[in-house]
Amino acid sequence: MLNMTNIKKIYRTDSIETHALREFNLQVDEGDFVAVTGPSGSGKTTFLNIAGLLETFDEGCFELDGVDISNQNDTARSRLRNQKIGFIFQSFNLIPDLNLFDNVDVPLRYRGFNRQERKKRIEQSLEMVGLAKRMRHLPAQLSGGQQQRVAIARALAGEPRFLLADEPTGNLDSSMAQSVMSLLKEINTNGTTIIMVTHDTELAAQAKRNIYVRDGKVSEITHSDQYAGDASELLEDDTESTLSPVAALSR
Amino acid sequence: MTHSKGWSFFAENWEVGPIFRALLRNKVGAMLIALQIAFTMTIIVNAIYIIVERSQKMQRPSGIDEANSFFISSVGFSNNFNGLATTQEDLNALRAINGVVDAIQINAVPLSGSGWSMGLQTQPGAEFDGTGAAVYMVDEHALKALDVALIAGENFSATDIQVRVSSQTHWPDKVIITLAMANKLFPQEALAAVGKTVYINDIEPMVVSGIIDKLQAPWVGWDNVENVMLTPEIRDSKSSRYFIRTTSGERDRIMTEVETLLAKSNPQRIIKDMHTLDETRLRAYRDNSAMIRILITVMTILVIITGLGIVGLASFSVNQRKKQIGTRRALGASQQAIVRYFMLENLLISTAGVMIGAIFTVSLNIVLVNAFSLAPITWYYIPLGMIALWLVGQLAVYGPAKKAASIAPAIATRSV
Repeated sequence: MLNMTNIKKIYRTDSIETHALREFNLQVDEGDFVAVTGPSGSGKTTFLNIAGLLETFDEGCFELDGVDISNQNDTARSRLRNQKIGFIFQSFNLIPDLNLFDNVDVPLRYRGFNRQERKKRIEQSLEMVGLAKRMRHLPAQLSGGQQQRVAIARALAGEPRFLLADEPTGNLDSSMAQSVMSLLKEINTNGTTIIMVTHDTELAAQAKRNIYVRDGKVSEITHSDQYAGDASELLEDDTESTLSPVAALSR
Repeated sequence: MTHSKGWSFFAENWEVGPIFRALLRNKVGAMLIALQIAFTMTIIVNAIYIIVERSQKMQRPSGIDEANSFFISSVGFSNNFNGLATTQEDLNALRAINGVVDAIQINAVPLSGSGWSMGLQTQPGAEFDGTGAAVYMVDEHALKALDVALIAGENFSATDIQVRVSSQTHWPDKVIITLAMANKLFPQEALAAVGKTVYINDIEPMVVSGIIDKLQAPWVGWDNVENVMLTPEIRDSKSSRYFIRTTSGERDRIMTEVETLLAKSNPQRIIKDMHTLDETRLRAYRDNSAMIRILITVMTILVIITGLGIVGLASFSVNQRKKQIGTRRALGASQQAIVRYFMLENLLISTAGVMIGAIFTVSLNIVLVNAFSLAPITWYYIPLGMIALWLVGQLAVYGPAKKAASIAPAIATRSV
């Protein structure tokens, strides 16, 4: 589904070349939940940017959902991002002048959905994160956890194949962080592939796979046993698992 | 998945609603630009209207062959200078010059700014109001020299021409008037004015012997500039002004020849004030030309300032919203969508500006109409002004919008 082979990314200034990624190889299958960890400057964000089609790469091969990315121009990459990828950012990146409804509406308009379809999706996704009643509020009127839930609603409204999360809990306290993590696991259980970059090893351990990046390369891949248990619990009691993270975040 | 198609696809996804709501939450900058656009539109539309009005006034034909005509003055200074005899000799000599179409003595020149005026009325008596008209005292050569067309009646004959001395108060018994003057005196039956009697000095009768198509008075700012009468007179005076019309392309050569001829023919006088009608027209409309230049300068400066204001606000907005733009790009906005976003935002601000501007424009026009007796603005200047300001806005914002579109989507994942 996501296949990176020997990806190389070099940042150049007049005097310095920085090899952000070198021979970066990774395969992510459908339904996977991958946590990417590593020290600062290891290349995690560069990987996420390239995986999210936010940046180009210098060498290697990258296929996303069967599409060879190296052949895509800026407009095509924008379309792919819009159709296949949902983003969750550390700072939420909500547009401060737009209310929650309009924030979630942003990617749907670029997608070309008509008014009725957009309204239905916005209401469903805000309902899913427990903020449907506050859709006319501005982001500044919400807590950090609530803002991140709006960002998740925005990411999911277009029903993307991938969810790319960049330190999604980095600006939240531990309680909120765990609630967001539970929500992500629930989303993954429902079939969305997730790649999450994080510094938090405890949260990373809750993903299905852990990728450790060092010096621009994947240096270690581990599989989490804990995730399977959590996921099966979620699957056994779907109603509770759906509501519990939302309820936690609402507090 | 439901996609809308065609026009609705564009209309529904152009973010007009969200942009409008976002602008309402950040009113100050947008309102300042909208007001600037409104003021600019107010000034520009009224200025253009004044410029067009002035230009039309400047382009009015005087009725004479301006390109091939000039005039020159002769002033006798000795006690025994015979004005009448000199004038007759001069006219004979001038008319004999190869290339001169005709020459006349005339008391005033169209476009020159100075001349005589009298009132004509259709009934005798001081209790009746006269219609003012410029008076040109000329002989039977005037129609040819001035290049005016007789459209009714007949020209003066040589026997009609009377000698006028400086103290004279009575007028000849014949007059030729312009069509405009005939319309004023005899509305609805202007051409039938030939043969009718009009009165000058309240009671002195004059018979309208002919009607000419067009001839302007000397005063271009006068509302009734085409009210003109020709009287059959030759002035017995030490000073004489000659109006000479030449064949095409011969004017400048003949001017030199005439100046030399007159200077040599009689040493008891000075020759002065030789001017072409082209020069005279420029001088007549100098104030109008200056006003047009000033208004164009003001308009240009205003448009530049407004354009720079829009560029400034849009650039500031782009810099302030880099992360937001990157986020939009990350969420799937193409570069075109980002350009469109800023163009639309400007369109909304400009629309508010031109709406306010339309009200201001009409208000200023009402003030100008009352203060300076201008005609009210023609309605289509308002929509044209709105379109012009919309275009200025769109052109000004295009650069910053392109800059915004070039912001990398990766900025969305940066922490600062």
